[in-house]
Amino acid sequence: MNGSKHTVTDPRIDPLIDASLRTVGSATPVPGLEGRILTRLASERVRLEAAPTRFPHLSLGPGRRLPVRALGVLTSCLLAFVIVAGTVSYSHKLHSSQVVAPPSLVLPAQGIGAASAVHPAAPASAPVPAGQGARGRSNHHSGRARIAPHARKAPGVAVPAPSSNNSQN
Amino acid sequence: MSCFEGQLAGWVAPAHPTTVSTTQTIAALVAEYSTALYRVAFSVTRNAAEAEDAVQEAFLRVLRHESRLGEIRDYRVWLVRIVWNIVLDKKRRAKTRPEGEDLADHARALPSSDRPADASVISSQEHARILALVDRLPKREREALLLSAVEELTTAEIAAALGTTESSIRSRIFRARRELALLLEKEGIAR
Repeated sequence: MNGSKHTVTDPRIDPLIDASLRTVGSATPVPGLEGRILTRLASERVRLEAAPTRFPHLSLGPGRRLPVRALGVLTSCLLAFVIVAGTVSYSHKLHSSQVVAPPSLVLPAQGIGAASAVHPAAPASAPVPAGQGARGRSNHHSGRARIAPHARKAPGVAVPAPSSNNSQN
Repeated sequence: MSCFEGQLAGWVAPAHPTTVSTTQTIAALVAEYSTALYRVAFSVTRNAAEAEDAVQEAFLRVLRHESRLGEIRDYRVWLVRIVWNIVLDKKRRAKTRPEGEDLADHARALPSSDRPADASVISSQEHARILALVDRLPKREREALLLSAVEELTTAEIAAALGTTESSIRSRIFRARRELALLLEKEGIAR
């Protein structure tokens, strides 16, 4: 508040504030307030007692009920446990059905140790013959194609003469 | 048997024996605190019907939580807090102030026989203007000032109801009154 530096000079103001606050603070209700409140409370109590319990089997008698909130928490915990246990159980079951027998080494008749062993899943070791157009992967060319100077060309095909620079390269 | 006792007997009769004590306790609370709670509610709503509704709603809440009655140390502060929350909630929702204000309520709030001096000091228009300026005060100061106006509440009870200390309440009331006086002087007392 920025009015701390100012002072009130009008002497009528404080009595007015006091009088106004007193009128608010001493307001009198319409006569019979207590009776109306009690009547409403009585009807509310009758309504509460007449209303069926939401969970009648949880009632232990008048005024004694099981703590529904605690039961709710307990049910939630139980449900969570069932879900987790079911998930874990299913996971174990799935895992056990997918497990294959561990690979076994077949020891050859000749040879020594595991280096000469054959893995059962290994492909047949027979050599595959290479095709006619096949070539080794390491045998490749890069750069511009070169034409031998004395190569025979088909007639009518214009072929640029090899320059001296190319021959030097 | 008075009318009040008759209603009390009618209320107690159908209750189970285990609830008779709480019923009597609530009836005693109604008898002792309903007027004070009405004033607390009226200080915010400034409407007789709304204030009475708030008080009834407060006691309905007490009835619904009657099992907790034994845990309450200070019934007055507890009830004031309930009513206070109800009226603030209603005000927040409805935004009825100050449109819901009517002069008949102010006339009812000005008891002619009890406080003739106040009625002569302040007119209904001045009263309405001052309350309109109270509404412009900051929330904390306004709440402390309005609760301090309720006769039945001490500073300690106001502090307990608002969840703060007595010194804080005192300084809030001081600031509220000073700011209100400045606003009144700035805008002129009578217009």
